Amino acid sequence: MSVTVETPAAPDAGPAAPAGRGTWAVSFEGLRTVARLELRQRIRSTRWKTALVVWFLVIGGITLLTTGAFSTMTSAYPQDEDPYGGTIYSIVVCFVLFLGLLVAPTLSAASINGDRNAGTLATLQVTLLSPAEIVLGKLLAAWAAALAFLVVSVPFILWALLAGGVDPLSLVTTLLMLAVVLGVVCAIGLGFSALVSKTSGSAVLTYLTIGSLTVVLPIVFGLLVPVTTTEEEVRVWNVPPTYSWEDTEPPACEWTTERIGVWHSERTWWLLAPNPFVVVADAQPLGDDPEQMAEEANILAMLQYGVRYARTGPAPEQDYCSWYGEDAAAASPVEEVEPTDALVWPWGLGLQLLLAAGGVVIAVNRLRIPYDTLPRDTRVA
Amino acid sequence: MVTDSGGIRADGVRRSFGTVHAVADVDLVAEPGRVTALIGPNGSGKTTLLLMLAGLLRPDGGTVRVAGFDPVTESYAARARTGWMPDVFGTWDSLTAREVLTTVAAAYRLDRAAGEARASELLALVHLQDLADAPAHVLSRGQKQRLGLARALVHDPDVLLLDEPASGLDPRSRVDLRVLVRDLAASGKTILVSSHVLTELDEMADDAVFISKGRTVATQSVTGGDEPRQWRMLALDPAALIAWLESSETAYEPDPTGGVLVDLRGEAAAAALLRSAVEADVPVVSLAPAGGVLEQTYLALEEERR
Repeated sequence: MSVTVETPAAPDAGPAAPAGRGTWAVSFEGLRTVARLELRQRIRSTRWKTALVVWFLVIGGITLLTTGAFSTMTSAYPQDEDPYGGTIYSIVVCFVLFLGLLVAPTLSAASINGDRNAGTLATLQVTLLSPAEIVLGKLLAAWAAALAFLVVSVPFILWALLAGGVDPLSLVTTLLMLAVVLGVVCAIGLGFSALVSKTSGSAVLTYLTIGSLTVVLPIVFGLLVPVTTTEEEVRVWNVPPTYSWEDTEPPACEWTTERIGVWHSERTWWLLAPNPFVVVADAQPLGDDPEQMAEEANILAMLQYGVRYARTGPAPEQDYCSWYGEDAAAASPVEEVEPTDALVWPWGLGLQLLLAAGGVVIAVNRLRIPYDTLPRDTRVA
Repeated sequence: MVTDSGGIRADGVRRSFGTVHAVADVDLVAEPGRVTALIGPNGSGKTTLLLMLAGLLRPDGGTVRVAGFDPVTESYAARARTGWMPDVFGTWDSLTAREVLTTVAAAYRLDRAAGEARASELLALVHLQDLADAPAHVLSRGQKQRLGLARALVHDPDVLLLDEPASGLDPRSRVDLRVLVRDLAASGKTILVSSHVLTELDEMADDAVFISKGRTVATQSVTGGDEPRQWRMLALDPAALIAWLESSETAYEPDPTGGVLVDLRGEAAAAALLRSAVEADVPVVSLAPAGGVLEQTYLALEEERR
C-alpha cells in the first residue's frame, strides 16, 4: 500500500539508481518512519516541553498586557465601541510570527549536520530510505514541531479576535499563512543544515536569510526611493498664484501642470512582498476603510494598505488644494487613489516557497549516496 | 540470494581525499559462506574501503560488486543486501533498544509486525532482552556495539560488513560475537570483518586480506594450515632441549621470552616433533603456536616494509 511517487532525478543528478527506487522516490511509509523517529527524539527531550510552556506564558503575557493597556484606554472613552480590537489582534499575531521566526530555525537548522556529527545519519542513509524521504520526513517533523507552537498560541489569537473589530475570516488566512511561513523557515533551515557542517553555522545562515527577507529587503526598498523617483510633468489641482495667503476665503483652485518628483513605488513593491509579516498581513481580506484601520491601529491592516498603495504607485493627478478645508476637498475633481486589488502575498509566498524548495533540493542532493565529495570537516560515519 | 557473483569483489579500487590517497589499489574477494578478515595498521584505508563497499563513498576507480550488485550504479539493490556496522556510530539516544531496531526495520521496509518480531529476535541474539526497553543512552559501550550489530542484521543481509565489531566488548560478548559470526557464515552469508585484535580474527576468519597504505599487500587462507608457522617450545631443562634440537638438526631460534621457536608445517609436524622429543627424554612442558597465523603474517609484512 505504499504510494510511490517516482519523479525523474534532478537534472544535475549523476548516474541515478536504475534498480529499485531513485533519489526522489517518496513513499508514505518512508516519510512516516523518518518523521516518527525525529518527533520521538524531540518529544522525549524535556527542553521541548519547557519551550512550549515558556512560549505559552510569553504569548499569554503579551496578550494580557496588550489587552490590559488598551482596555484602560477604551474605558477612558466609553463612547467608542471596541476600537482597539484590531490593535490587540494584530499585535498578538505579529508577536506570534516574530517569535515563530526565532524558534523555527532552531527546529530544523541542526537537523542534518547534527545527525551527521552524532553519527546517526549514515546509518539511515544505508537503509532503503531514499534521500528525499529522509529530508522530507525531517521537514515534516520540524514543521509539526513549529505548528505545535502555533497551536499553543491559537487560544490567544482567538481571544484577541473576540475583542472585535476584525473580520473572522482573517483568522483563517492568518493561521494558514503563519503555518506556511513557519514551514518555509523550517525548509530553509534544513537546506542550510545539509550545506554547512557546523550546526551553529547553519543556524546563523538561516537567521540571516530570514533577517534579509524581514528587514534587509524593506530597507533596500527604502534606499531605492531616490532611484525610483523621477521628475515628471503632473497635472495638479492647485491654488491659483494670485491667491493671497491672508485671505479667509478658501481659494478657487485650478488645474496647473507642475514638474515634480514622482515616486514610482510600483516598480519596487515586490521587495516588500517576501517579508513574512507582509505575507501574513496581505492575505487577510482587504478592509473597506483605510482611515478606520489607521485609527484603530491595526498593524496588520496598515501593513496591508501600505504594500497595496506601494503596488498601486503614484496617482496621475495631484491635489494640492484639499488642505484648505472640507469644502475644498469636496469640490476637488482629483480622484482619490484607491489601493490596488492586485494581491501582494502570492508573490511573496511564491518567492518563499521557491527558497523552501531550494532548501529541500539542496538537502536531498547532499544526502545522495555514494558521496562524490565530502563536505569539509565531516566524516561519513 | 547467493548467486555466482555473490560475496564481495573489489578490483583495483581507488579513493582519495584531496591529495591523500586513502585507498590506492585494493583487490579483495570475500566468498559467501566464509569469514574474511580485513587487516591493516591504523590509517591503512580499511574504513574508507568499507564505506565504499557499503555504498556510501564513490570509488575514484576500480570496480566493486557486493552481493552481485554495484553499490554505485545499483545502490538500492546493493543496500538491500548489505548490512554495515560502522566503527564509530551514534545511536538515537532517546529511543529504546527495541525502538532503534523497529525504526531500522521500518527503514528497510519491513511491515510493523515483521519489524517487531525481528527486533525481539535480534535482541535475544545479542543478549539485550533485559535492556530492550531502556533508552539507548544508558547502554554501555559494549552493549551499544551489540545493538549496532543487531541493527546491521535487521534486514537479514547477504553481505555483512563489520568494522571493528569487537572493540569495547567484554570477553563473554567476544565469544558470543565469534559464535554468531561463524553461524552467519555457516548459513551462507558473506562476512568481512576488520579488526586490530588479530588473535580473535584467527579464531573467526577463514581468509584474510592485508592492506597497508591503501594497497592489498597479501591475502591468506587462515584455515589452509600448510604454511610454515612458528611454534614455541618450552622444557624444564632448556639446555637439554637445545642439545636435543642441535643433535637432531632441527632449525630453531631462541625465544626472548624463554624456550625456543621452531618453524613447523601444520599440526602433524608438531605432533611428530613432540613425540620424538619425548622419546629422547627431553622434559617438554609445552609446544604451541607462537602467536596467531595472522599475527605472524602481519608482523612479517611489517618487517618487509621497514
